Amino acid sequence: MTDYSIIGKRMPRVDSRAKVMGKARYTADLKLPGMLVGKILRSPHAHAKIVNIDTSKALALPGVKAVVTGADTEGVKWGVFAYTRDQQFIQTEKVRYIGDEVAGVAAVDEETALAALDLIHVEYEVLPAVFDPMTAMTTDAEPIHEEFPNNINIHVNIDTGSVDENFKKAYYIREDTFTAPEESYFHGEPYAVAARFDADDCLEIWMPNGGPHMKSKPLSNAFKIPLHKVKVRKITIGGAFGGRSEICPADYICALLAKKTGCPVKIVFTREENTIATRQGHAMITTHKTGVDKEGRVLARETTCYMDGGAYSSTGPIATSVPFLSMEQAYRMESVRYNGYRIYTNKPIRGMIRVHGRGFACGLDTQLDMIAEHLGIDPVEMRLRNSRQPGEFTSTGSQVWSCAMDETIKKAAAAANWHEKFGKLPPFHGIGIGTNSVQTGFPMGIRGGSQSFIKFNEDGEATVMSGVVDNGQGNENMLVQIAAEELGLLPEDIHLVSADTETTSSDPGSYSQVSTFVGGQAVKNAAANCRKKLFDVAAKILKTDPDKLTAKNRMIFVTDHPEKSVSIKKTVRVALLNFTSVNAEGGYWPRVDMKREWVSNPYGQMCEAFSFGTTIIEVKVDPDTGQVTVLNAVACQDVGKALNPLVLEGQFEGSVAMGGQGGMLTEYHDWREGRCLNPTMLEYKVPLACDMPEITGIIVESVDPRGPYGAKEAGMSIAMSAAQAYAGAVSNAIGVYMDSFPLTPDKIVAAIREKRQAVK
Amino acid sequence: MRLPQFTYHSPDTLEGVLALLDEHRDNAGVLAGGTDLLVRMKHRLAVPKVLVSLKHLDTLSYIKETSEMVSIGAKTPIIDVIRSNRVQQQAPALGQACERIGAVSIQHFRGTIGGNILQDNRCIHYNQSQFHRTGRQPCHKDGGKICYAREEADRCNSTCQSDGAAALMALGAQLNLCSSKGERQVSLDAFYTTDGIHPFDMQPDELLTRIDIPIVPGAVSVYQRLSFRSAIDYPIVCAGVRLVPDPDDAGCIKSARIVVGAMGRSPLFLAKVSQSLAGKRFDDIAAVAQAGKDAMNTAAAFAAHNAGAALPYRQAMVETMVIRALELAAAQASMKIAR
Repeated sequence: MTDYSIIGKRMPRVDSRAKVMGKARYTADLKLPGMLVGKILRSPHAHAKIVNIDTSKALALPGVKAVVTGADTEGVKWGVFAYTRDQQFIQTEKVRYIGDEVAGVAAVDEETALAALDLIHVEYEVLPAVFDPMTAMTTDAEPIHEEFPNNINIHVNIDTGSVDENFKKAYYIREDTFTAPEESYFHGEPYAVAARFDADDCLEIWMPNGGPHMKSKPLSNAFKIPLHKVKVRKITIGGAFGGRSEICPADYICALLAKKTGCPVKIVFTREENTIATRQGHAMITTHKTGVDKEGRVLARETTCYMDGGAYSSTGPIATSVPFLSMEQAYRMESVRYNGYRIYTNKPIRGMIRVHGRGFACGLDTQLDMIAEHLGIDPVEMRLRNSRQPGEFTSTGSQVWSCAMDETIKKAAAAANWHEKFGKLPPFHGIGIGTNSVQTGFPMGIRGGSQSFIKFNEDGEATVMSGVVDNGQGNENMLVQIAAEELGLLPEDIHLVSADTETTSSDPGSYSQVSTFVGGQAVKNAAANCRKKLFDVAAKILKTDPDKLTAKNRMIFVTDHPEKSVSIKKTVRVALLNFTSVNAEGGYWPRVDMKREWVSNPYGQMCEAFSFGTTIIEVKVDPDTGQVTVLNAVACQDVGKALNPLVLEGQFEGSVAMGGQGGMLTEYHDWREGRCLNPTMLEYKVPLACDMPEITGIIVESVDPRGPYGAKEAGMSIAMSAAQAYAGAVSNAIGVYMDSFPLTPDKIVAAIREKRQAVK
Repeated sequence: MRLPQFTYHSPDTLEGVLALLDEHRDNAGVLAGGTDLLVRMKHRLAVPKVLVSLKHLDTLSYIKETSEMVSIGAKTPIIDVIRSNRVQQQAPALGQACERIGAVSIQHFRGTIGGNILQDNRCIHYNQSQFHRTGRQPCHKDGGKICYAREEADRCNSTCQSDGAAALMALGAQLNLCSSKGERQVSLDAFYTTDGIHPFDMQPDELLTRIDIPIVPGAVSVYQRLSFRSAIDYPIVCAGVRLVPDPDDAGCIKSARIVVGAMGRSPLFLAKVSQSLAGKRFDDIAAVAQAGKDAMNTAAAFAAHNAGAALPYRQAMVETMVIRALELAAAQASMKIAR
């Protein structure tokens, strides 16, 4: 194994000190000279025609500097794809969910801005609304979007052929339906945006984002200004989880207010706005029909998934595909047919959360457990019989180069003492396993690749320019580690200029788990090019060949004679005095099938690497109250290569918290007619640190042939597998397979009571 | 979210506070820890023109004991109640309830026992932002004529989610209320109206100054509650019980007080169910089970969808909470006998 000096080491993150000391500055902390306070008027109705908007009283209020409505937007619409542009930034004709943007106000202070919102008179004609996808498809009422009859927004059909024939060959077939409601992110930082136009009509804008370049292009389109005039600036970000990638209407409204007033404007969301007016995870109703042979190997599967998409498309085509993709990557299936439907309802917009479409909530693992029980196969063995193997192709034709799924299953089972526990635990104790696979990247067209520039300063330190953004997962530290490793410097010698569209090249953003694989690889290549230039200079100083040199710990030395060395600082200074550049660039573009498209052609190489995760959970259920105590959690992932095990373990822990403990036990929304009853942290039960179990993290390294140092996605496969491990453990504890997620105490008590009745 | 504008006073004396309350009456809000009031003000559910802070009234922060009672000043921080030996000895149910209030930080820095008892009734349809409350008719408590917690209800169905109140009612506590005209004592049983909009029988010029918990020789008490998280969570159902042993037969219950909280507009003292345990033995499992069932059947009628959990579940859990509280109390009693 290659001996790295910085890669693979447990290094505290470069950004953590500022964050824990409260010194990091977030968008809401920004204060620009002359800055106004922006507020958004939102629809109080789930579905209504806008008959008239009268802003005159608001405009007359002293301190109000501007009011904008749909009339100011020239009707620009947002959608991730050309065929999904269905969301106006400010609505002109009708509102489609409680929270839809109707107007924006900029005023001298928050009180005045809020008072102005009250003075905007909007006349609505309330329309019948639909709140669940099955009703939405069959209602006679006016469709939510005219162009989409039956409110069906997206239909994804995948068919690998031979499904019906293989069902005929199956030894055992079963069909089950699983339901899961929507969920919310509860980022640490509620959404905020600050914007100003400068003297050259350039838009400068700050906001939490999943990739600055993914924000700048739609803003340039919306304002019809060249891309270079949109400068998305870097700012500390308090969590994204997929909810910060798309452009937010508030970005546009804030910029529009700034343009209209000529002053900087800042909009800070309330916690409620962050819940209802950013994105949520899709609610899903999934039916799996699975046919297996006598040994439990899946021969045929037919999956139909109805997804509640809320009021607009968002990343609809992707979201509608991913529940299927996660399972086709994790498990072999001889043949499969998938039909995913994304349906509009008058509820908040559903987009990506962790990955798109919440594959973990579709119940596939629960059904595998059911089949295993019927056939008398242990759930761990059941997974090993169906698990993905390296070198194989997925059902839709992606080759999987590196894969250590079996190793994650076996190591997790050993650490959790699975074989001593499964079937042998006392009553109302249970153990469950979940496995999943996550893509490292998607075909993203022109923004699929990343480029980096590195410049040396005359003191021997380096500045790395990269479009990669850090949402909290440690991307900045990742870039620093890679650059330091490649350049032979120490982490403190590396200075980042990142996540700013003016100074960095295009980058896919922290999206589809691709930051390390693509953005990190771009920095690695740039640094390697930089090092090559350094070695050319150093070789002359040391009177040797460049390829005989090694850089480490701020020194360049002859590999076989380490006593012959020169400092990097001196090398840089010699280069500059000899009119030689030691700066360099590098890029990385993933080799994916660019013809693959979510709806029209869902076949071909989707990404370069896939990671695999297994979570095992052990629980104790209180049979009287249905409350669950988690006794043990083991999270094991094939990450390719752990660049920093310390950061990775943190990702594992967060993933168990979000995917399992919260996602499967306590977190769910309560609604009344499209009005969210628990938009805040008090009533939406995000688990507290003190309620989390101890988590054992196990890192498996398959060393991906294409990833930087062998790395691929890290952490998400735990978020995706944890939920089904929780579901399996609770089901095992109470002896009832649960098909309605999350597993709240009321459902658990009901299941236990129903079982007791049945026994009587 | 911003607070509405108000005038702020922080008098140095009790008399000063009472004079301001007398002067401003309904326009005044009393600020102790503020954990209930300030959130309601931010939501514009309460818009007092005047805030009267108790921050200088350290004389209202104490825990004292006489042979008849434990007395707690209304401004006593929650953490002091939790740590008090007197409370642990004479009123363990109150200590257990206080441990579940808010979170450790709230218990230490802001929350007071008086504030916990006087927190306004809550409802998941009412305790919402102004934005949430637009676009629909206001509910009874919000000045309207609709109840979202219970279909077609002609009055407010908010619930009292105070942990402290349920425990104190089980302990037979009395409140001492002061105004510039004098002071009066009222038992917690009699302190509640049946009105979810104005749940307390208290005048706007009155201030809660003290809570008296009677000491009953040999009595045991327990508080049990259900919520989703270990902290920062209101109870979705809770129960407080106090059992008094027969002085002539320590294995026998002389009297019981069973209170169910977070179900009705006030903590519900279930007199009949309590009565059913008088004369029963502490280890009478059947009697305890029956009491649990009866408690559920009585309390369930008061329940409405006003907290964040399925209603049938909350109703069913009354039985579990009451039985658990009774069982734990019986276990306490048998330990006392063993000693």
